[in-house]
Parts: sequence; structure tokens; C-alpha cells
Amino acid sequence: MAESTASAHWSYRGLYLLLVAIVGFAQLLPFSPGPGTFPGPDVILLITCAWVVRRPDFLPTLLIAAVFLLGDVIFMRPLGLWAAFVVMGTEFLRMRAVAWRDLNFLLEWFMVAGVLSAMTLVNRLVLWVIFVDQPALGLTLIRLLGTIAVYPLVVLLAARFFGLRKLAPGAVDRLGHKH
Amino acid sequence: MAKQNGKSEVYARPLRRMLVGALVVCLLAIFVFWRIDSPRAERFRAAVVDAIVPQMDWAFIPVKKTVDMIEGFQSYARLQKQNQDLRRELQQMKAWREAALQLEQENAKLLDLNKVRLDPALTVVTGMVLADSGSPFRQSVLLNVGAARDGIRDGWAVTDGLGLVGRISGVGRKSSRVLLLTDSASRIPVHIQPSGQRAMLSGDNTSLPLLEFIELPEEVRPGDRVISSGDGGVFPAGLLVGQVVQTRDGRLRLRLSADYERLEFLRVLRSQPAETINSPATLIGPLRSVPEASLEPQGVGPADG
Repeated sequence: MAESTASAHWSYRGLYLLLVAIVGFAQLLPFSPGPGTFPGPDVILLITCAWVVRRPDFLPTLLIAAVFLLGDVIFMRPLGLWAAFVVMGTEFLRMRAVAWRDLNFLLEWFMVAGVLSAMTLVNRLVLWVIFVDQPALGLTLIRLLGTIAVYPLVVLLAARFFGLRKLAPGAVDRLGHKH
Repeated sequence: MAKQNGKSEVYARPLRRMLVGALVVCLLAIFVFWRIDSPRAERFRAAVVDAIVPQMDWAFIPVKKTVDMIEGFQSYARLQKQNQDLRRELQQMKAWREAALQLEQENAKLLDLNKVRLDPALTVVTGMVLADSGSPFRQSVLLNVGAARDGIRDGWAVTDGLGLVGRISGVGRKSSRVLLLTDSASRIPVHIQPSGQRAMLSGDNTSLPLLEFIELPEEVRPGDRVISSGDGGVFPAGLLVGQVVQTRDGRLRLRLSADYERLEFLRVLRSQPAETINSPATLIGPLRSVPEASLEPQGVGPADG
């Protein structure tokens, strides 16, 4: 990714929003409204994590907060809580994105898995403390494991189709700032 | 973002951290608001969903139709076998239809003889399923009928023509959400038929919701019919819900009569609120000194209905 101009930023943001919209739309399609057997992975969250670890400069925190708050509203989650945890989790990843630039993929996967697990468990804990009805623990864990397992696939697809890769160390943007 | 070189980074980092902290606090404040004033937050949610999802109708319908078409093509392969199955089933159904007609006539005659007055007929609004809940842990669908045009209200029962599907929970102007019986927040009072036991049907995110609080579980057998009971006054009584099944761990669950695999058109039953009786009965009313003269026979109350 030699060009990292403002227009590239905006096109990647647009791409992110488009992907999130498509995935959300697919989840809303009323194919089998009854309870399924196993909950699938949380693809929107995975896309967000892959984006933040690869190119933190493409994905402002405010955009993540807006996307997940809207997700809370539409997907019938408790309003705001999950969005807050996503913001905190992605912020943790973002802080370390530069340091992890040379990390191999396995370690990155471990880190993302740790963040996702922490988010899910703390979310459950908070809901449990204030007596909110929640799904069975087993289902949540299955979903978490599925989400973690699918992460490499999302990263691979993002790299293959959208050229989403980590910046080479020392790459310079249009204004001459080092990343 | 703020990755300037040199001095500005020294200030940019803590500032950024503070802004992110403020954002998180805002989100948590929204959560606290949701927890404290849930009805208002849910109304807000219904309004947002109402504004967004029906707009995407134009995209939902072609995608859904395409997938249905592909499924249709796949089922051509099994056409021959399906046809045979259907014929056999039709044969059985004819026998049942005959039986049902006879029973209906008999029932009408008996009701007439007994001078039973039935519930005023329930009127229905039929709506189309617009969207799923989008989350694997929430069992609800969005209908394209709402409060503005169709007068849908919270709490009304929804069926698919045969069995109960759920109830309205959350109404927007043009759309309304149906909480399915399988959702873990769904609880409805039911009646198990031949034994007359009352129970609570509570969803737990599986396709077979649980029957709880049965008075005498030993009188309930797998295969018993389950209908809604009017207890609590929220639901109309006598809607078919499903059949009792027993799982391997010995718990009684319900196989729903409604076809949850194909929820496409749903009927919302407009239920009139049950009339409340608020005047005390003259016959067994509060004790008070009654003048002798008024003790003459007053006409027996219930007979005038």
C-alpha cells in the first residue's frame, strides 16, 4: 500500500461501512426465523478487529462506536453496553497495532482471541450483575469460539480482495508523517 | 490517527485517551438509561428500526425471492416422491375433514341447545415478515404492519393460521416486532388439553420451548394438545399452540404447531380487552343494613345475559 492519501482513507472507510451493511443485511434476512442449531460467528466484529489491527488509521473510533451502537439498536441487544466494550477492545488493539507490526500472525490471532474473550465475558458479567436476561452460557461460548476460529479467514479474504495489509515499517504518508 | 512526529504527539496521546474515555462513558450512560427507563428506550429502538428496516424492503424481497427460487429448483428433484407423499397425506386429510365437519355440526347443535354465547369473533390483520432479529440469541421477526395504518398494539397474539407464533412486542408506525414463543423472554399461560392442566410455556432459545409449573406432571402425556389459556387477560384463550413432547432428560417440552421454518405471512389477532366487572353484586354484595322493604325478590342477576 504505497498510497495512503486522504482519499484512500475515505475509500477504505466506505468499504468498511459497505461490508458491515452487507453482513448486517444478510443477518436480517428472514430465511429461518426460528432458533437455529448453532449461533454463527460475529462477522461484523471480526471485520472491525482485522481492520483495526491492520490499518488503525483507516478506522476512527467514532465510526466504530456509531456502527456498534446502531447494531445494538437493530439486533435487539442491550443499548450501548456492547458498543462500549467494542470501543474499549478495539482501542486496546489500536494502541498496540504499531508495536505488533512485525508480530507473526499466530501471536496476533492469540491477542485478538484474548480481547474478544475478555469482551464477551465482561459483557456477560455486567449483564449478570444487573439481572438482565441473557442467552445460555454454552451458546455464548460456542459463538465466541466460532468467532475466534473464523478470524484467519476474514483476514485472508480482506488481504486477498481488498488489499488490507499491515503497513511496512517506515512507510510515509502524503504529508511526510511516519506511521 | 494522531501520529504526528515530535512534540505534538506528547499532547495528542493523552487527549485522545480522554476523548475515547468520554465516548465510552457516553455509551455506558446510554446503557444505564436503557436499564432504568426500559420502556422508553425500547420505544426509541422500535422507532429507529421502523425508520430503517422497512426502507430496505426493496432489497429484501428480491434476495429472498431468488433464494426461494433456488430452493424451489432443488425441490424439483424430489418432486416425484413429494407428490406421492402429498397424495397419501391428502387421503388421510379427507377422512379428518369428514370427521371435523360432523363434529362441527354436532358442536353447533350442542352450543345452540345450551345457549352458550361465544367470544365475539376475533378479527385479524395479516402481515408479511420483513426481517429477522439478526441475532442468534433473540427470536423475533419484524412484520410490515404497524400502529399507524393497522392499529397494531403491544401484546396482541400472532398466529400463522394454524398455531400460535408469538405476540407483538414493540410497535412502530409501519412495522411491529413479534416476539416468538421460542425467545427466552417469552412466557405465556397455556392449557394442556385432555387433562386440563395449566402450565406456563417459556421459551429458552431452542426449537422446543419448555412447559413449566405443571400442577400434576404425571397426568400429562407426550402428544397432548396444548392451547392458550386466557389467564392473565393478555391472550385470547383457545388458540392452538402445539403438542407435548418429552425429551430424553424427562422434561416436558412443546412441539409448536406453527411452522417456524416458514414464517412468511402472519396473522395478528385484534383482541378486545376483556370487560372488567367493577360494580359489586347486589346479591352477595358488601354487608350493610338493608331496609326490610327492599328484600323483595330482585330478579336473579346472571340470568339476564
